[in-house]
Amino acid sequence: MESAFTYTESELIQGLKAKDQKVFSYLYDRYSPALYGVALKVLNDESNASDCLQEVFMKIWRNIDRYDESKGRLFTWMLNITRNTAIDTLRSKAHKMDQKIQDIGDDVHLYTGNLAVHPSVDHLGLSKVLEKLTKEQRIIIDLAYYKGCTQEEISKVLEIPLGTVKTRMRNAIIQLRNLLKLV
Amino acid sequence: MGATSYISSGIIEAYVSGLASSIEREELELAIAQYPEVAAEYRSCQQDMEQYIIFQSVTPPATLKEKLLLQLDTEETARANGTYVDVDAAPETPARKILVSGAWRWVAAASFLLLAGSVLLNYTQFTRYNDMRQKYEALVTSNTSMAAETNVYRTRLEQAEQNLHIVQDPSMKTVKMPGTKPFPTALATVYWNQTSKEVFVMVNNLPQPTSDKQYQLWAIVDGKPVDMGVFETGTDAKVMQKMKSVDNAEMFAVTLEKKGGSPEPTLDQMYVAGKI
Repeated sequence: MESAFTYTESELIQGLKAKDQKVFSYLYDRYSPALYGVALKVLNDESNASDCLQEVFMKIWRNIDRYDESKGRLFTWMLNITRNTAIDTLRSKAHKMDQKIQDIGDDVHLYTGNLAVHPSVDHLGLSKVLEKLTKEQRIIIDLAYYKGCTQEEISKVLEIPLGTVKTRMRNAIIQLRNLLKLV
Repeated sequence: MGATSYISSGIIEAYVSGLASSIEREELELAIAQYPEVAAEYRSCQQDMEQYIIFQSVTPPATLKEKLLLQLDTEETARANGTYVDVDAAPETPARKILVSGAWRWVAAASFLLLAGSVLLNYTQFTRYNDMRQKYEALVTSNTSMAAETNVYRTRLEQAEQNLHIVQDPSMKTVKMPGTKPFPTALATVYWNQTSKEVFVMVNNLPQPTSDKQYQLWAIVDGKPVDMGVFETGTDAKVMQKMKSVDNAEMFAVTLEKKGGSPEPTLDQMYVAGKI
């Protein structure tokens, strides 16, 4: 599925700005699994996640001129579009707080089972990282990143004081980063 | 805040996990621009977060790419034809401007005027309603008191008619009882029917007694006082009050006694007396 040749990031950006459909096709092949993974984690529904991903790539195509290289990498920009679009969809579907928690609770048990095989994904690395993160550390990261929960919401869901949410998050991510060094 | 304290404050982790508030995001973006160490730490942390996200990649359905490229083709063709409508013209502008047609503006203005008019009308009607209600209540009150007065007058008229019958009876004997020495202004009258032997008393002028006392009428028969009963005084009392009947009497007298009357008259409390 990966193209026989690769583009550098600046070539990608130039190609997209030039409305080069070949570059766009490459971009899709290269990044759609990561972005679809985000949409699926946010929405917990394959059909909604597919619609979301299609919308995301159309936004990338239409709005590439708005992308500012000085503010971050192209992948970071695309991730942000995906997360925002998916969370907007989640909110517009009027998911309630308990639904968000339910989704995360289900995910915790299904994490590895849910994954489709993609050659670029290092499953060994994933399982190594996930095993060493406590359930609470994963949940706090996932609630914030995939469900767009605020500090107040996380404080309520995890029943921890509002003042300690940021500290818990910092510890979780420090643990994540330490584990990534071992992969 | 220095670079080190930014790095240890947890704001970078909050930022990359999407937890940071908009104020915290702005603050960190300023710090990134200001401190190279903060910028480096942010980039490193961001990449690790992205690695975590990449770990959770899922291959999308195979048909999705075709659908996407078809949509893109359609859109690009429309763009080339000049028929494309830019749906994402301002996708990052949070405030959405809702355009309202001229007709709807007029409808809105008219609605507002109608509402204002309705409010005014309601207020006026309510004020008038309150006015009318107060007047109505006053009328009801005065009507009730008039009805009560009418009843009083009717009762008095009926009494007066009865009194007239009593007085006009040809066999009725009138006995005037002037005041005794201690009570010279007192005056009462006894009407005594010589046929039926009925006795009525009329108070012309007797002082109002205290509530524990009552006036008592006596008939003097063969030199001895005979009880004829107690009677009321004051505005509520009947003008002519029926007393006990008596066949013979030489004299009538009224004494002030304890309430309910006494078996023997208290002579020093004799107010009026009159010989037949």
